[in-house]
Amino acid sequence: MIEIDDLTLGYPALDILREINLSVEKGGFFGIIGPNGSGKTTLLKGLGRILLPSAGTITIEGRELSEYSFRDLAKEMGVVPQETNISFDFTVRDIVMMGRHPYIKRFSSESVKDVEIARHAMEVTNTLAFADRSVNEVSGGERQRVIIARALAQQPRILLLDEATSHLDISHQIEILNIMKNLKGEVTIVGVFHDLNLASYYCDRMVMIDEGRIAAIGTPNEVLTRENLKKTFSIDSVIRTNPMTGRPYVIPIINSGRQVHEKQRVHIICGGGSGSDLIYSLSDLGYQITAGVLGINDTDYLTAQNLGIPCVSEAPFTAVGDESLYKLKACIKEADIVVVTGMPVGPGNIANLRVLEDIGDTPVRVYQQAGENICAQDFTGGEAGRIISGLVESGAKVLNSQEELIGDLREI
Amino acid sequence: MQKNSLIATTGLIALVIISMIIAMALGPTTIPLRDLVPTDLWALLASVSASLFSGVEGPPLSSFFPDPTSFMIVFDVRLPRVICAILVGCGLAAAGTAMQGLFKNSMADPYIIGTSSGGALGASVAIIFLGGLGLPILAFIGATGATFIVYAISMRHGRAPVETLLLSGIALSMFLSSILSFLMYSAGKSLHQIMFWLMGGFWNVSWNDATIAFLIPLAGIFLAFYSRDLNILSLGEDDAVHLGVNVERLKQILLFLSSFVTGIAVSIAGAIGFIGLITPHVMRLIVGPDHRILFPTSMMAGGIFLLWADTLTRSFFNEIPVGVITAFVGAPFFIYLLRRRMQA
Repeated sequence: MIEIDDLTLGYPALDILREINLSVEKGGFFGIIGPNGSGKTTLLKGLGRILLPSAGTITIEGRELSEYSFRDLAKEMGVVPQETNISFDFTVRDIVMMGRHPYIKRFSSESVKDVEIARHAMEVTNTLAFADRSVNEVSGGERQRVIIARALAQQPRILLLDEATSHLDISHQIEILNIMKNLKGEVTIVGVFHDLNLASYYCDRMVMIDEGRIAAIGTPNEVLTRENLKKTFSIDSVIRTNPMTGRPYVIPIINSGRQVHEKQRVHIICGGGSGSDLIYSLSDLGYQITAGVLGINDTDYLTAQNLGIPCVSEAPFTAVGDESLYKLKACIKEADIVVVTGMPVGPGNIANLRVLEDIGDTPVRVYQQAGENICAQDFTGGEAGRIISGLVESGAKVLNSQEELIGDLREI
Repeated sequence: MQKNSLIATTGLIALVIISMIIAMALGPTTIPLRDLVPTDLWALLASVSASLFSGVEGPPLSSFFPDPTSFMIVFDVRLPRVICAILVGCGLAAAGTAMQGLFKNSMADPYIIGTSSGGALGASVAIIFLGGLGLPILAFIGATGATFIVYAISMRHGRAPVETLLLSGIALSMFLSSILSFLMYSAGKSLHQIMFWLMGGFWNVSWNDATIAFLIPLAGIFLAFYSRDLNILSLGEDDAVHLGVNVERLKQILLFLSSFVTGIAVSIAGAIGFIGLITPHVMRLIVGPDHRILFPTSMMAGGIFLLWADTLTRSFFNEIPVGVITAFVGAPFFIYLLRRRMQA
């Protein structure tokens, strides 16, 4: 559908994009991602013929872009920009009807067919209800839908989206991208995205652009990798699979920049996601963290893995075995302090707590966030609760927030 | 078409006709209507058609009317002046509409790209160096020439960004004005004449001017053919390209036609201000922003406004320059409309 060959593109005397080669298949949803200033929008401007290539070619359906007349190109391709400022008070209907411009000859006016097509475009985008209001009086989300309706009225085979949803709240973003998704098949969609996870969900294929060159191209699974994100966006990230969509889900690791290099070793006994926040923030502060015993695929286990934290593990849904127990004891021996979280406790992991009954001198902290009660997730018939109570009686402090815990760690 | 637009259009057409009739009757000498009814209509028609078709020169037209002097005042003095006032007003309004649409700027008027200062310079050169000979031609050349220079200055890599057009228009206007000021400073006795020209008026118009003035509505109609493109341009240049508008070509056409119309207007009546600025605004408040209806209604409204301003000065104010009246009456009316819109 769209072929880009060896494209160099930019402004007079300033090339932004170099050596771009890519092709977009018919009927797909193709994403363009990359940091600010990488050339995403420039690429879209090239496709929309706002900028002319200084070298290389762009072809659409085998025909070079420069061969299209203004009207023919507008019949082929619609564009939804990030934002549209409309200087005069046109009604929504007027704006949508402007999409029919390439089809109406200079000396004639719109036909019944044009009116019908514009009406249909407003129906699809859910804008018919306010068709007679001024386009400057409707909300941002509504206006963006109007602009999409205008693009649809062009009956294009290609739709370019230039961060078309980035000014909108999440519900409007999804609403608009779903409209696009429903068009997929008939219309080829090429969109610039800032939100990597929206891009991951909606795009079939994507290209990652970095400093004017292609950094990666392929399916979201191929493009959204830890290495690519590190290289292009300079962020650490955790890539999970969104359980509901099966698409990669990017969780950026936000480095707090606190840079406190504590030397203490902390062992965290957790599970079921109860320790992820601690693992993350304590390792961010520079503590030497170990964790376990955790079942492989436990949320806390995945967090530790992604952060490169050593972790004693056991096969999924298996009780803590002798070997793991041995490793756990070794970790506790090494640790300056042991933290127990408000995790669910059952026969499988009760061993993690039993270990603490003869821990000796190593201080223990019980971390339960406000409102949580460790005993509430006790599936051991009260044994876990007894162990915790015993620990508290023999001097283990109960801490209710990360701040409290971190403050306490500093004092040791 | 909306109901408002329909009412406005019909109303304006009626107003044009009524205003023309009243304007011809008004003047320093009052002429009774019966003096304008031919004594023998059939003889008049026969004589006119004879001279048209077989080239036979009949008796002068005035001899068919009860009072030949009254007829001559109306036909040779007032009618060309009425026609010129209407058509010049119509042209300035059309060019103003086009410029406001092109620049998406409410301060834009026909003179924004140097037309008035170019025209004024041309006219002053004619007054000072040629004793007024060829004044309309030099004014026209100055007005259109300024636009071409502005366009040429702004052109880069096949594009003339509107911001650059606007700014280079202002720069060139100031440059030309400084030359004009120098000329006025050293003009001596001609200063008075230049000042009069600058304020604008219809003192010496004849049928020759009126004939040339008919080019204005013609060009205005051409401008109106680009209404849909101008509507789309209000979404921004990139969006207009995406909707199939050849934006650079559109700019050239709009600039060329506007400067042509303004050049003719300026060559006939001098630099009359305010019509081209205010009329499109007022009509946009009434009929909305759609140029398909805005163009014809603005053109008619501009014509009516200038006709009345000229008729007032001609009949009651001892021929003070019409530009004085347009701004004096127009500005407060404009402020009134603005305030009313702010309250709405």
